[in-house]
Amino acid sequence: MPKTIWTPTRRRFIASSSTLALAGLAAPGLAQSRFPNRPVTLIVPWTAGGSTDAGFRALAEATQKHLGERIIVENKPGAGGTLGPAQMAASARPDGYTLAQMPITMFRLPHMTRVAFNPLTDFSYVIHVAGYCFGTTVRADSPHKTMKDLIDFARANPDKVTYATPGAGTSLHITMMDIAARQNIKWTHVPFRGAAETNAAVLGGHVTAQADSSGWAPLVNAGQLRLLATWGKNRTKTWSSVPTLQESGIDIVANSPFGLAGPKGMDPGIVKVLHDAFKKGIEEPEHMRVMDQLDQEVDYMDTATYETFVKKMYEDMREQVERLNLRRS
Amino acid sequence: MDLLGQLGNGFLIALSLDNLFYCFAGVLIGTLVGVLPGIGPIAAMSLLLPATFAIPPTGAVIMLAGIYYGSMYGGSTTAILVRIPGEAASVVTCLDGHEMAKQGRAGAALFVAAIGSFFAGTVALVGLMLLAPVMIAAALAFGPAEYCALMLLGLCLIAYLSQASVLKSLIMAGLGLVLGLIGIDSINALPRLTFDRLELLDGIGLVPVVMGLFGIAEILKNLEQGTDRTVVTAKISRLWLTSADWIASRWAIVRGTLLGFVLGILPGGGAVISSFVSYALERRISKTPERFGKGAIEGVAGPEAANNAAAGSAFIPLMTLGIPPNAVLALLLGALIIHNVPVGPTMITQRPDLFWGVVASMYVGNVMLLVLNLPLIGLWVRCLSVPYGILFPMILLLCCIGVYASSGQIFDLYVMISFGVFGWLVARWGYEPAPLVLGFVLGPMFENNLRKALILSRGSWMTFIERPLSAVFVVASVLILATALVPWINAKRKEMATEE
Repeated sequence: MPKTIWTPTRRRFIASSSTLALAGLAAPGLAQSRFPNRPVTLIVPWTAGGSTDAGFRALAEATQKHLGERIIVENKPGAGGTLGPAQMAASARPDGYTLAQMPITMFRLPHMTRVAFNPLTDFSYVIHVAGYCFGTTVRADSPHKTMKDLIDFARANPDKVTYATPGAGTSLHITMMDIAARQNIKWTHVPFRGAAETNAAVLGGHVTAQADSSGWAPLVNAGQLRLLATWGKNRTKTWSSVPTLQESGIDIVANSPFGLAGPKGMDPGIVKVLHDAFKKGIEEPEHMRVMDQLDQEVDYMDTATYETFVKKMYEDMREQVERLNLRRS
Repeated sequence: MDLLGQLGNGFLIALSLDNLFYCFAGVLIGTLVGVLPGIGPIAAMSLLLPATFAIPPTGAVIMLAGIYYGSMYGGSTTAILVRIPGEAASVVTCLDGHEMAKQGRAGAALFVAAIGSFFAGTVALVGLMLLAPVMIAAALAFGPAEYCALMLLGLCLIAYLSQASVLKSLIMAGLGLVLGLIGIDSINALPRLTFDRLELLDGIGLVPVVMGLFGIAEILKNLEQGTDRTVVTAKISRLWLTSADWIASRWAIVRGTLLGFVLGILPGGGAVISSFVSYALERRISKTPERFGKGAIEGVAGPEAANNAAAGSAFIPLMTLGIPPNAVLALLLGALIIHNVPVGPTMITQRPDLFWGVVASMYVGNVMLLVLNLPLIGLWVRCLSVPYGILFPMILLLCCIGVYASSGQIFDLYVMISFGVFGWLVARWGYEPAPLVLGFVLGPMFENNLRKALILSRGSWMTFIERPLSAVFVVASVLILATALVPWINAKRKEMATEE
């Protein structure tokens, strides 16, 4: 029986000791390793203030009370979100005190170019968290009312349609390439740096369209931008009248699902402690509310399911890279 | 009247006891992180962000905004005293600010920086209230071609940054451009000059480069020369401005404010660029440009006003469109979202209490900053009389902590030390660090926008001339280069002629 620090009343003692006993059964790693006993660092490989960062800060806040230690969000942006996790895999100890978000680029980049990490062998996957809400927008006064309008216009006027994305090689860029390949049209990619710039570019009329994660939300809600399609499997809760890409006749689902992982070789007991705490954190109403506001769709998977999912995603990315001929060297 | 009524409501909110406290806490923390080299507002705000979850959104935003503009205030202090820019926007302040300190006029430099900051901060707020809709339209008119032309104009200012040789400035600026290329190319996502080092994928950080070139190099230089400190300490009795100082700096402050306000609204380093532009402008219109770099008070007053005005006007795109123009305000946007505030064009109508409360708190915060900073000047100046043997190790330690804190990478410490040694070595042959910093900051933005503009125009270079705004910048760039280079070339010719 673990020692209790405070002097409990009898009823509370019984209640708490039974939960502790249950917890002890469920998490064998807890008692012997006393994990965690210092703050856990969560690497977010995007800049502070972006939608991924905002979501993870809310998740960290919601999870730390279940974990019993502070979770410190550390922004290590770069290399399309691969720099942070790759550095972690190369240098952090697999003690559970360092975790990173695993963006989809971790599974795509290895097929495109030589990288120093292997997503299948260099990480201990913990939990799958959510996916983004991507969408295509045009300015409110644009003649293009639907995705089909935009594609028809692009077909009639090759290379005339320009679209802004938050960067070269992002899922937004690649999905737009995929759409062009499948629809047999040509449009021109203009890579910006982040949602702030793509919003300004489409609002200012410098590009025809914008493909970005939901940074456009406030402008769409205010009626300054028109949302042509969202890219998820289902319509979004917030913009339920806006069709998906599939409903617009383009058989693509893109939401760049992401989860958390640590360096390879983490103790399964520690993974379990982290998984359990983050699962509770994900389900916290405050976290759900922030995710709703960021239009990220929570998509929980446990450790084993996530590991299987990772293998499938890696193969899907190989297929996409080969089909679109994205390999650089 | 409506405006005044709303502002009145804002003041009622800002002057509530809670919000006064949050405002004070914000500007105090901001001043401190501004003074500490390397530890910028981003580090402070992300550390404090979780702590704001417990307080109401208005209080949280008031405090976080206070940290931001407070740090702009504080950044000048170390720049003037020990030639270490607290943040990138204070690089220019080092040039004449530290020279003034060496002449025993540190008090005057700090004073003019504080007054300039206060004036600029307040004017920027009035502009924020009155001009926000107009400014937004102007900002949206800026496409890649316009940005590219503006960056070109910025790069031409190098001609005005040099103390001695234009050629040496150009060499340093070219070096800065090359250093700015390191990392993942922003158009094709291919690595450049990274030598397969993961640390270089993101390029090298501005903070370690600047701290090395200015701070570490200055320490090395002083160690080598063994400066006699009695000269410095003997003359620092006077803290107030002389009337000559005041006459020299008052219009510089006004010009800096206007420049900063206009440039601050543009995404990507508006504060840094505006401080460089302001310095160049002051030097260009000065009747005695030769004083610049040797302790000209206008060279402190203008840029300091510019970077503070830019800090204020940067709120315009954030508040009216939900578009953050720099990394610090992106963090603030994240905080707004976490606090369930509807960001975007509807924010002002949906949450007028928050918008006007925050605007009013910025007036209050600017007054607090002035009251906080003026008495501190005496204290800061006394720091100069600390013997080198104690002062230098402390500065070195603070630099190391600051650089490590801003990135969390030991690699950045090596970068700082390398650039320190480099800066010290090249200074012996008269090469100055400021043009390098300008090239390093503007280069990547210039390249990215140039290539985007050419993608959009399908390879036609005429786009820079056909678009009126960009044409204005291109013509201005040519004029600047011509006015700066022609006299210099003529002088060289004469030199050669006399030699023959």
